Amino acid sequence: MAEPSLELLKGTLDVLILKTLSGGPMHGYAVSRWLREATEEAFQVEEGALYPALRRLEKRELVESEWSVTDTGREAKFYRLTSAGEAELRSGLRNWQRYVQAMGRVLGATVGG
Amino acid sequence: MTRRGRAGRSGGIFPRFSVSEDVAREIRAHIEMRAEELEAEGWEPAAAREEARRLFGDTQEVARKCRTITASHQRAVRRTRKMDAIWQDVRYAARTLTRSPGFALVALLTLALGIGANTAIFSVVNGVLLRPLPYDRPEQLVWVSEINTRGRPMAAAWPNFVDWRNESTSFAGLSPLSDGTTTVLGGEAPVRAAVASVGEDFWKIFPVQPLRGRLTTPEDHVPGAAPVVVVSRSFWQNELGGRALDTYTLEVQGAQVSVVGVLPDDFGFPEGTQMWTPAEPQNQSLSRSSHNWRVVGRLAPGVGLERARDEIDAITRRVVAQATDEDPDYLATGAFTVPLADQVLGDVREPLLLLLGAAALVLLVACTNLASTLLAKGAARARELAVRASLGAGRGRIVTQLLTESLLLSVLGAAAGVGLAALVVRGLRAAAPGFLPRVGEVGIDGTVLLFTAAVAVLTALLFGLLPARRLSGMGPGEALRSGGRGNAGDARGGVWRFLVGTEVALALVLLAGSALLVRSFRTLLSEDAGFDASDVDVIPISLSQIKYATADDDARFYDRFLAELEAVPGVSAAGVVTSVPMEGAPNGRMELDGDLDKHADGEYVVASAGAFEALDIPLLEGRLFDERDGPDDAHVAVVNRSFAQKYWPGEDPVGKSVTGGGMDNFYQQRIFARVIGVVGDVRQRSLTREPYPTVYFPYRQRPFRTRYSASVVVEAANGDAPALTAALRDRLRKADPDVPVRIRTLSGVVRASLGERRFVMMVLGGFSLTALILAGVGIFGVVSYSVARRTREMGIRMALGADPDGVLRLVMSAAMRMVVAGLVVGVMGALVLTRVMRSLLYQVSPTDPVALATAALLLAGAALLASWLPARAGTRVDPMITMRAE
Repeated sequence: MAEPSLELLKGTLDVLILKTLSGGPMHGYAVSRWLREATEEAFQVEEGALYPALRRLEKRELVESEWSVTDTGREAKFYRLTSAGEAELRSGLRNWQRYVQAMGRVLGATVGG
Repeated sequence: MTRRGRAGRSGGIFPRFSVSEDVAREIRAHIEMRAEELEAEGWEPAAAREEARRLFGDTQEVARKCRTITASHQRAVRRTRKMDAIWQDVRYAARTLTRSPGFALVALLTLALGIGANTAIFSVVNGVLLRPLPYDRPEQLVWVSEINTRGRPMAAAWPNFVDWRNESTSFAGLSPLSDGTTTVLGGEAPVRAAVASVGEDFWKIFPVQPLRGRLTTPEDHVPGAAPVVVVSRSFWQNELGGRALDTYTLEVQGAQVSVVGVLPDDFGFPEGTQMWTPAEPQNQSLSRSSHNWRVVGRLAPGVGLERARDEIDAITRRVVAQATDEDPDYLATGAFTVPLADQVLGDVREPLLLLLGAAALVLLVACTNLASTLLAKGAARARELAVRASLGAGRGRIVTQLLTESLLLSVLGAAAGVGLAALVVRGLRAAAPGFLPRVGEVGIDGTVLLFTAAVAVLTALLFGLLPARRLSGMGPGEALRSGGRGNAGDARGGVWRFLVGTEVALALVLLAGSALLVRSFRTLLSEDAGFDASDVDVIPISLSQIKYATADDDARFYDRFLAELEAVPGVSAAGVVTSVPMEGAPNGRMELDGDLDKHADGEYVVASAGAFEALDIPLLEGRLFDERDGPDDAHVAVVNRSFAQKYWPGEDPVGKSVTGGGMDNFYQQRIFARVIGVVGDVRQRSLTREPYPTVYFPYRQRPFRTRYSASVVVEAANGDAPALTAALRDRLRKADPDVPVRIRTLSGVVRASLGERRFVMMVLGGFSLTALILAGVGIFGVVSYSVARRTREMGIRMALGADPDGVLRLVMSAAMRMVVAGLVVGVMGALVLTRVMRSLLYQVSPTDPVALATAALLLAGAALLASWLPARAGTRVDPMITMRAE
């Protein structure tokens, strides 16, 4: 790896999971693989950390789960966004953009000018 | 409906396998898929597995976290579902009730009465009996009492109290107490006030912070100290005008009295006292046989009742043994202590608990009634329940549903009942019956509401559980086949008979209790009390001892005032008397027949001839007092029949002689009074107490007795005592404007003396009537239902030529069998339970056959009516119509 891995900001894993599931139901491993590939392995996260996060989202009724069979005939637990989850994702995105803009304004500005 | 959808899926948060299995499978799947991917990238299978595990992290830790999250999620969901289910049941129950508003209304009324009765009585029990007395550390407070020669409690003699206080170590404080009413001048107007004479320790026993001024100090409590009083805030405000304390000089019993302090309204001991004054400065009798004082004390810390009692008893025995010069018949044989609460509340504890028990019986009748109604309704609902059961509702689910209906009814009924009870309590407080101590503290507080809530739940279970279990036990097939006609009810006939029988039995117990009280009351009223209260006005009089310096001045006032009253149109007789009936009279040793060693025991009353006439006390022999019996003439007396028969049996009492003993001390000068007449006996202390041997002396020869307390009694010629009061008030004001005017009718005094009996009788009577009506309604309902169920059968019978009367008899005899069984059980119950009322009865045995028979007949009559009405309606139906209706 050319650059060192980034620490995932607290709370952002939830948004990432919701974003991942917004494409349709997925099992845990698929979520993990998609995250890994989409971020080009920028984040240093143990793969197992995904599962407590999924269940916390389920407890908040942002996702729901169901055992089903994969294309390859394997049994896996699939997660799907609820409508509350979709709303949460939208507000998560909005917050993130405001956060990035604010950080960008500060960090891009010239100090002392 | 979301929860059913969720529960129906195989995954979700309630997977087909356990939470830990669910988590383990999910992790295993992840690692396997990861390993496959690594293999596809060219890893060795074993190494790929190894790498997949490493990338996953700590599987144990992840599994633990996942299990915890999902388990708590499951708990939350289950809780929500339960609440949802309850809420759904409540809404369903509410819909069910609104579909039969008639039933709901009757049921609510029944419950409101039953629960309301319990709430009202419990709030009285709570305020009067359960709550600690409103004094500092009330458990340390005790009464000290002497024991007389018959082993009964007796008021204390002053020297005995002094010895107790000086010699005992068990008490933090001991105070004598004497309370009564007295005239107070110097306020806004002359007024009668409730005054308590108390000892130096009184404020140690009852620590209280005065609102203004100070309490009495030890210097106020020595013989010869200037008289002072401490007054209650309401007395100061209402009667004294609320002025600065140093502006007052009151006149109380001939003394100039300063007001030194005002006490807050929340202190009142004895209850209702308006003025407290030191006892020590007053002239105290040094005789150990003159029992004028109650004694109240506070136990020293750590001292038990037993030790205090033993000590006080030992001191009393020792000091009394030294009083060799006094009549042993009037000396204490010992002394004892009782908790203050027992003394204050002892008289009302039993009646109040009795009423609470009676209220519970009413509620039981209500429960039984509702249970049988719900069963009847339930049989009609059998089809609905069967449909729900065949749609998959389990038995537990249906029981819960039915119980929710009961609980909803019960809670609504309880709410209405609390409303009723609040009205009752407000009325009771406003009436403030004199026999009920602490009535001002009665109210509906948290404790009462908690009690009511518990009663409501218990009630719902009592009337709901049996029908719910019965109805839910019916198989769906059975109920559906019977077409929802509740045919299955036949099997339940036994339960109905049991319920109706129970209702009848409970109602009979209540009615028997009421009948006993009513008979007691009637017996009491029909007793010849020896006087006629119906047309008499009573004017309590106390004259200023400053304006009337000597007793002879008092006598002259009465001479003049009585003469004026007799001239008032409408007055047929007027007299003065030291003890009006129901007030009691002092009693003590008297001497007889000119012999100081010949003793009698009698009540001592000073009166004028007009008093006998006004009270209609008949003269049996000789004559009454007249102008021949002036202060300078030879002393005379009139005795009552009991006195004459007890002390001069078979002799002519007229011409005998008697003294007033220690009540006037003329015996010390060997002055005997000649008996000039015999009058009828009077129940002087209360209507329930047999007349006591009594001696009457003329007021002109003993004017000093009328100075303590006297009343003028006036008989109205036309029998209308209240109409006369305005004229009497006017005459009294003219005769002496400094005498407080407070006129009562003697019949009012007599009625007040029966207040507690009347209260218990009325409340129990109300409860019994409620139970009677509920039982009638219950029988009516069950018979109506049984008639409706058997319409077809009766139609066939009549079509086949059966006589309608025969059918009527058939239906009614079935109903009456359960009533009779209930009556039999009820009579047995009453025989056992009415024993607890023994102390409330007067000249009637708790097993009085007349009372029992009256109750049983009343109930049987109501039951006959309640079963005849629906039975007759059933036989009036045209047989053809009922048969076609199928």
